[in-house]
Amino acid sequence: MEDAAGGVAIEKPRELGDVRRFSHEAMATVFEVYAVHPDGAYAAQAAQAAFDLTDRLERELSRFVPNSDISRVNRLAAGESTQVTTSTIECLVIARHMFDLTGGAFDISIGTGLPSLELNPDDYIVSATKAGVQVDLGGVGKGYAVDLMAELLEEWGVQVALVHGGFSSVLALEPPAGGGWPLTLSDPAAPSRVLSRLSVRQTALGASGVRKKDHIRDPRTGEPARGRLAAWVALPRPSFVHPVDEGPRVAATAVADALTTAFMLMSTEEIEALCARTPGLEAWLLPEPSEGTDLLHFEGPAE
Amino acid sequence: MAGENDKGPRKLDRREVLMGLSTVPALGLFGYAWNKQRQHQSAKLAEAVAVPSASPDVQVVNVALLGAGAQGQVLTDAMIRIPGLRFRAVCDIWTEYNLRRVVNTLKRYKHEPNAYEDYREMLDKEKELDAVMVATPDFWHERHTIDCLKAGKQVYCEKEMSTTLEGARNMVAAARETGKLLQIGHQRRSNPRYLHCYDKLIGEAKLLGRVVTVNGQWNRGVTPDLGAPDRYAIPADRLKKYGFKDMHQFRNWRWYKGLGGGPIVDLGSHQIDIYSWFLGANPSHVTASGGLLYYDPKNHEWYDTVMVVYDYATPLGPAKAYYQTQTTNGSQGYFENFMGDQGTLIISESELNYAGQLYRDPNAPAWDEWIQKGYISAPQVQETRATSEGAAVADVRESVAPDRHTVPVSLKDPYHQPHLQNFFDAVRGKAKLNCPSEVAYETAVAVLKVNEAIEAKTRLSFDAADFKV
Repeated sequence: MEDAAGGVAIEKPRELGDVRRFSHEAMATVFEVYAVHPDGAYAAQAAQAAFDLTDRLERELSRFVPNSDISRVNRLAAGESTQVTTSTIECLVIARHMFDLTGGAFDISIGTGLPSLELNPDDYIVSATKAGVQVDLGGVGKGYAVDLMAELLEEWGVQVALVHGGFSSVLALEPPAGGGWPLTLSDPAAPSRVLSRLSVRQTALGASGVRKKDHIRDPRTGEPARGRLAAWVALPRPSFVHPVDEGPRVAATAVADALTTAFMLMSTEEIEALCARTPGLEAWLLPEPSEGTDLLHFEGPAE
Repeated sequence: MAGENDKGPRKLDRREVLMGLSTVPALGLFGYAWNKQRQHQSAKLAEAVAVPSASPDVQVVNVALLGAGAQGQVLTDAMIRIPGLRFRAVCDIWTEYNLRRVVNTLKRYKHEPNAYEDYREMLDKEKELDAVMVATPDFWHERHTIDCLKAGKQVYCEKEMSTTLEGARNMVAAARETGKLLQIGHQRRSNPRYLHCYDKLIGEAKLLGRVVTVNGQWNRGVTPDLGAPDRYAIPADRLKKYGFKDMHQFRNWRWYKGLGGGPIVDLGSHQIDIYSWFLGANPSHVTASGGLLYYDPKNHEWYDTVMVVYDYATPLGPAKAYYQTQTTNGSQGYFENFMGDQGTLIISESELNYAGQLYRDPNAPAWDEWIQKGYISAPQVQETRATSEGAAVADVRESVAPDRHTVPVSLKDPYHQPHLQNFFDAVRGKAKLNCPSEVAYETAVAVLKVNEAIEAKTRLSFDAADFKV
């Protein structure tokens, strides 16, 4: 499930005042931290600590790294288990939950049998009931990394910030001024064509898009999905701080990341229904021109 | 509209969490966390049986981590996967941050370590400890290691052994005197790919012939100095007590003389260790140039750029080995390249880059036997120059491109796990250490001499006796 650029941008970032930008390549994309802090060197160190964290996560989560947790999971024979890190189990638990929630439209195993992986989040163990399940956290790992980077920045006292991975996984924390971070959603094929403007704070945003003639394969049918050029998801970031030794973190960007991938495939009716029963959830869908409609927008009930 | 309200992030309190999914519809998206909460509640009821699991045939080893910084966390991450270990204690002077974080991680894995700021207090109180993992700054290694050995513990100590050869010698002597194990963290010594190259490709098959030149590097891009969250700064009196003048020095001790050894020691030591291992000899001479060319001399003392040439008298004849480390451009990362008259081996610890490539010299005997034995891969045909019609053209000005093979052995576990496993196997009496302190001492002699040679601006020589304790 290769995501093309999602057509998300910060509008006129130079007019936002003292926002510093830091960039780092990881997970085959560019992660960035936009931050406001009076001490530039301190902000750079905080951003670097966040980038070191993405590098560590990539070593654990990438299926392209032969000695990562995920590579070990992908090599499991029937009946075998492997010990994984807290981050790996959290990503897998989130991915499994999103698989269930989207009726299999979000599937990190791309049809190879996600339910055959048993997750034991109390002992951080993954077991396979059959061999050959191949997982790829590409649709959730970047968002998860963004969630953890944001936690780290807040721990450093950097509250006014926006973090993103390739602008397909975005988390807006406190805004530099006014009501929110000014974001635009654009046609991925024609970025100058702005479809919608948002002003967001404490909000996760996921974006998926395809270039023309590219297609995402539907894991439920194996067929290329058609009819949609891009999908965006926004959801508020809950701020429940649970004790560190109790359960997976609430990772809003990981969830948004997974949802937007699923929303490239789910029917408009399914998406509308999920939004209708989920307070705070918002979705934008850009159909192919042949579908005859422009941008569709759904939002859940007020919280 | 997302974010247009000014209420701030949505607050979920514990009651909502425990009430669960049905009463809070928004939880649908985050249901995994609440399900886990419920699981956790029920798990607590069954806690009586939640003793760290170890199969009955694995002897439990009680361990402590001394130094919970970046390297201590890397070791911890590998150790949670090794059966039969029980963390009893973690010690770090950064109690506000690293100590707390590592203890919390270990608790998630059902260890119950006690937390200490002072290692002497830990050694006094933790009577059941079998082994201590020392991952403190280099200038603390000598005291920490010797005190742990004298307290009767087996010790795994990170490289570099010490900032001084005297310190390193004292460590070797303490290991001998106490009869305890002292493994040094040159983890490539236990890496299956390096072991395969040493034992099979160089030792048995002699694929490289006579190695006359070696080159290697560890290049890193520019990064800001390490910082720390303001709110978790260590009080000045505690920093002073443990030998640091301020928080910057505590976080960036590797750049300071007397505390660390600079990039040539942090990075080069791992690879220069491999030079001597694979060549079967310690160096006879060293020439080096280096300087602080880029970073601010106000808070960086060691050389950010170092280039070294060693001379070796190997069992097969003389050889020269080049090594560079620089910290301003990470291109091509790190590798070691052994060039013999019959073949070339490029290797690195990384599973992604330079994970073992071999080139056979066209005049060398065929390698078919070793391909059949599975020691090396079948050759991959090198790209030849093609005309627009697709016919290959021989270019007489250049050597014929050699066959390219790969080393068919990789590491499937985290990088440090095999070396740690080797240590714990030795603790259980089932293995010999792959890098005992005498071996690491020889590497320390070769590496620490580089900084001396840079300062002396002249070629320095080693005596064979220099490498012995």
